[in-house]
Amino acid sequence: MSVLRIEDLCTHYFLGEDRVQAVDKITFDIAESEIFGLAGESGCGKTTAAYSIMRILPENGAIVNGQIFLDGDDVVEKTDEEMRQLRWRKVSIVFQYAMNAFNPVLRIGNQIVEVMQEKQSIDKEEATKRVKELFDEVGLEPERIRDYPHEFSGGMRQRAIIAQALAAEPRLIIADEPVTALDVIVQNKILGLLRSLQKKYKLAVLLITHDLSVVAENSDRVGIMYAGKLVEVGSTVNVFKRSLHPYTYKLIGAFPSVKGPKRRLEFIPGTPPDLVRPPSGCRFHPRCPWAQEICNLEVPEYREYEKKHWVACHFAGEINFEVES
Amino acid sequence: MTVSAPIIKVENLKKWFPVRTGIRSFFSEQRWVKAVDGVFFDVKPGDSLVIAGESGSGKTTLVRTMLRLIEPTAGSVNFEGEAVFTMIPDDLRLFRRRVQLIFQNPFEALDPRHTVKDLVGEGLVIHEMVSDEEELMKRVLNALEDVRLIPAEDFSRRFPHELSGGQLQRVAIARSLILEPKLVIADEPVSMLDASIRTEIMNLMTDLQKEHNLTYIFITHDLAQARYIGNWLIIMYLGKVMEMGPVEDVLQDPIHPYTQALISHIPIPDPTEERDRIDIPGETPTPIDLPPGCRFRPRCQAVDEYCTDDEPELQQIGPNRWVACHGWEARKEKKH
Repeated sequence: MSVLRIEDLCTHYFLGEDRVQAVDKITFDIAESEIFGLAGESGCGKTTAAYSIMRILPENGAIVNGQIFLDGDDVVEKTDEEMRQLRWRKVSIVFQYAMNAFNPVLRIGNQIVEVMQEKQSIDKEEATKRVKELFDEVGLEPERIRDYPHEFSGGMRQRAIIAQALAAEPRLIIADEPVTALDVIVQNKILGLLRSLQKKYKLAVLLITHDLSVVAENSDRVGIMYAGKLVEVGSTVNVFKRSLHPYTYKLIGAFPSVKGPKRRLEFIPGTPPDLVRPPSGCRFHPRCPWAQEICNLEVPEYREYEKKHWVACHFAGEINFEVES
Repeated sequence: MTVSAPIIKVENLKKWFPVRTGIRSFFSEQRWVKAVDGVFFDVKPGDSLVIAGESGSGKTTLVRTMLRLIEPTAGSVNFEGEAVFTMIPDDLRLFRRRVQLIFQNPFEALDPRHTVKDLVGEGLVIHEMVSDEEELMKRVLNALEDVRLIPAEDFSRRFPHELSGGQLQRVAIARSLILEPKLVIADEPVSMLDASIRTEIMNLMTDLQKEHNLTYIFITHDLAQARYIGNWLIIMYLGKVMEMGPVEDVLQDPIHPYTQALISHIPIPDPTEERDRIDIPGETPTPIDLPPGCRFRPRCQAVDEYCTDDEPELQQIGPNRWVACHGWEARKEKKH
């Protein structure tokens, strides 16, 4: 059974009279021991999707439709108190800015102990022992639980946050741009750590990033979002090597690489749409070089084009990406 | 390598910052953060040099010192044969017109209360390069068209908040280009931008280089970007140049163990590519109290006895290659 299953999720933000359709009818699932990479450019709704799962949306945001099942349990229906119980125990989140995730005037160890005591019936001594074990596990010296956040480097803080995320033994970890602010070598070490812990604890991981290289190397399956829509989902190899959606193809083509032939990269002309008034039909059609009349008129259905490879494009499989029309 | 004279030549440049340790500093020796510690390189006209390194490697301090935005501790910089550090104010002004700097974050670099026209034209007014309003407007519109902000007339009237990140960075570029610089130094110019826009700006900068005969120095932490935008590459570590050469040569055949490790860790957007990662323990330290010998030694996987003795200097090892490592020859022989 899937640890996380999202069905037709719509999350909107309300700005006066306007409504920002930040996440619009997205459906996907994540199994046990699976890393699902959710990628897309800024403003595509990937973080909103994560906040919807955690139910930590800002005040003007709301889930207006759809279900989010965590271990078969719909979290959309939960009261705030029930939700508070679930956080950390079923699902925890690792944020991008390791700098800001800890209170600067409290010792890091104590902050994690606090989470444990809140979430599990465990006394302080035992919790401290457990935090030391966790520190060891994420590659930090156990004695350093007495340090303050400023005594840690960026990489070390990110490790501490991962330790904290594991504290109450969740089933799902949402990692929202977990390595974006770090240097490549540290970045790789943190991702390696995340992968090894994920295997060991059979965790489901939702890895959110704008960096396709990170997704390519670290996820089992990938979902690509554009303007609030999930446009393509499939195994990492399928999405990268047999892209079905023009946006996926274009986005991958815009990424420079240190390997392979050096070529002039292509960009996608235009800018992502305003989600208060998204384009009719397919939201990508104004920027799509292969768009036809129907793309402007009808919203493409999100469908399983081939086994376990989903796409929302009227012409999936029919486009020759080498030739722009 | 071309024989033309370098447009800028940097020799033994150092920038040390004092460490303040409170009352104890009265009794102990002054300690220093050696942010830039003896850097040599030169750039030929028309080149596009990328200075790459991790955070704390000193790449930003290096260019700030080169431009004399902060005073150097030692060394010299020559721009078109003139020593920058001894320039009188009038010459320095001219120097700063001919060398333009583009920053990472266009949201912060551009004053939100000025229109695009004022932002782009400001330099012309300051340097008294135009005689009247009409000429100013004409030059501004030209510059906006150069960076493909079309219709220029419409963009010139807008304020920064009305533009996207990519458009703002174009305004920042137009603002530099309008002063007809010889050398443009760009500090992580696309790091704040999304992938597709990033490519757009990199392509634009490559095209502008040809159109305006520019020489570039790029600072970046992203070697994939470096490969795309540069032809020369410098790898820095703790304030020193570890390796230098043509981008493609350095990336495909790195010689310094640090460069080798760094490159092996760059993720690539291809899930089928198998990677061998070279382990590199710990994290980059602060450049205070550096160990004797090679500063990379504590983390180096190819370390040998001779690495503790003295600091390896950047030495030329091939027609176009420089490396600061004692062991490069020994490793090369082993390989063959």
